[in-house]
Amino acid sequence: MKALFLGNVAADTAAGIKDELPAGLDWEILNDPVERALLPAAAAEAEILVSNRWLAEYPPAPKLRLVQSVATGVELIDLAALPKGCAVCNSFGHETAIAEYVVMAMLALHHRFFQIAGEFRERSSWATSWVQSGTPHGEVRGSTLGIVGYGRVGREVARRAAPFGCRILAANRSPRDAEPGVERVYPLAELDRMLPECDTVAICTALGPQTAGLIDARQLALMKPGAFLINIARGQVIDEDALYAALSGGRLGGAAIDVWWQYPSPGEPTRRGSRHDFHALPNVIVTPHNSGWTGGMVRRRWDEIADNINRFARGESLINLVVRT
Amino acid sequence: MKTLFLGNFGGRPGVSEAILAKTAEKFDASVLFDLGDSQRLIPVLADAEIVVSHIWKKDFPAAPRLKLLQSVAAGIDLIDVPSLPRGVTVCNVAGHEQAIAEYCLMTMLAWSHRLLDIAAAFHGGVWSTGGGAGGGPTHGEILGKTIGIVGYGKIGREVAKRAVGFGCKIVAANRSPIAEKGDASEIYPLAELDRMLPLCDIVVIAAGLGPETTGIIDARRLGVMKPTAFLINIGRAAIADEEALYAALKDNKIGGAALDVWWQYPTPTEPNRHGSRLPFHELPNVILTPHCSSATDGARDRRFGTVAANLDRLVRGEALNNIVLRT
Repeated sequence: MKALFLGNVAADTAAGIKDELPAGLDWEILNDPVERALLPAAAAEAEILVSNRWLAEYPPAPKLRLVQSVATGVELIDLAALPKGCAVCNSFGHETAIAEYVVMAMLALHHRFFQIAGEFRERSSWATSWVQSGTPHGEVRGSTLGIVGYGRVGREVARRAAPFGCRILAANRSPRDAEPGVERVYPLAELDRMLPECDTVAICTALGPQTAGLIDARQLALMKPGAFLINIARGQVIDEDALYAALSGGRLGGAAIDVWWQYPSPGEPTRRGSRHDFHALPNVIVTPHNSGWTGGMVRRRWDEIADNINRFARGESLINLVVRT
Repeated sequence: MKTLFLGNFGGRPGVSEAILAKTAEKFDASVLFDLGDSQRLIPVLADAEIVVSHIWKKDFPAAPRLKLLQSVAAGIDLIDVPSLPRGVTVCNVAGHEQAIAEYCLMTMLAWSHRLLDIAAAFHGGVWSTGGGAGGGPTHGEILGKTIGIVGYGKIGREVAKRAVGFGCKIVAANRSPIAEKGDASEIYPLAELDRMLPLCDIVVIAAGLGPETTGIIDARRLGVMKPTAFLINIGRAAIADEEALYAALKDNKIGGAALDVWWQYPTPTEPNRHGSRLPFHELPNVILTPHCSSATDGARDRRFGTVAANLDRLVRGEALNNIVLRT
């Protein structure tokens, strides 16, 4: 049985799981597109492909039975270019890491963490201390958290936020039962009813036709004055201009932004994530699309991929099956 | 009932109004911020039946009618008990433990996720410190980590309750035996702290300051901690040895620290005084905050509610809450 690990992330995965692969598996690693000339021979024999992409222009792969994505999204895998009867599986393991980020960001925004820690380090300012007459900062206890997208990430966020004594609401495209600690799951169509209730809104939804531009100027205006917004999903879920206006104008209290409207390129490695200068706003926490990028996430993802390859080799049912061609 | 709001906390502008807004009974209130103003202190203390203050000094003038000294803080270390008149009930307040627990979770998450470093680098346009879109090293998470709580009281239990939601394992050490473990998987006597510390990825100091806890985090105990360990101190600075902690952080004997409590505090002449005579603020592996982990609006609201309820209870002759001692 032959497996092809294609691309950088797959190459790292192969190195991480080589000791867990089934005995007798013949595996090959190709750097794409540098080693594209070697692809036809490898594709012709492979039964298993580990990669996050399979494009229409790639050579035929008639023996493929399992395409194991190294990511959650499979939008770069062209199903029409795969033979009939091929299972396409994705991988997870990021949801707990991202959930930690969301709760961390919610705490940091309510507690004014960057401002207080920054001013104390740089100027030894005690202005927020109880020994001075400082104005108190906020806390998440008793506040209302609204989770837009009650999927794997959203549920993990809710489980972690509940012990803080938050009131938790959620909105989801398809109907979902609320787990204990979640007061209500609204249909996404009724998002307008949820937003005015929330002190913090966390965007945890996938990007799709129903969620592109979901949070625009009208939705932002429905939020409480001073409310916080956290986006770990995709930049395009939020209207870029409207969010900048709401933050720079003081309508919102702050935001934590991990996902962006534009990304660096080889020619522009320090390109800003937006045409607006969110970085210059004092109430915005900015991170470079890495909320899920933890050592634990990589290990969990590798374990899932190794598990699935072993299941395939033994002829058992697969996990994380997205579609079968 | 004659009530005096006294000192730099009880007598701070707005405090008496906020507390009295929560009372049902009527109070004849006076406010004195400056404890050194003895001309005013003498007549108001002579009349006061209730004093709302976290300070009582040895040289205070007579307070013959005093029935209740209601602190607006948890610790009564600034109250000189022997110089209080007979028959006074001293009460404290809680309500800060949830706010401090939030601070502990926030700092352990921020440390594990390298939030401050990654955000600072990204401010400079660097995408690659945090992996993800820019490639680069992964950061950590708290899932599966062991958290050791030194002092398993109200604060420690609130930390444990939140941390188990993240899949952390909780161990704790406490001076007195603990009957109810709560969210902790094991409780160590404080005397066996050396057995607990090597197990911990994160150590939270949530103990009160007393003879048994002063200086317990010394060079030897820092030495038995994991080289990657993260220490959070929201108790009192003197629980940790100042020089030993600085050396351990500077020489990377432990991973890092979040410090909210300090060995020295600002004074009127030195308002921007550093919290230590050693330059902790120059160390990259330290998160520093100015004794504000409890300074939330919610904690203030809960504390003021407790004070207001006790004032009402005294007027009505009902049993007081949060009694620390009676003289």
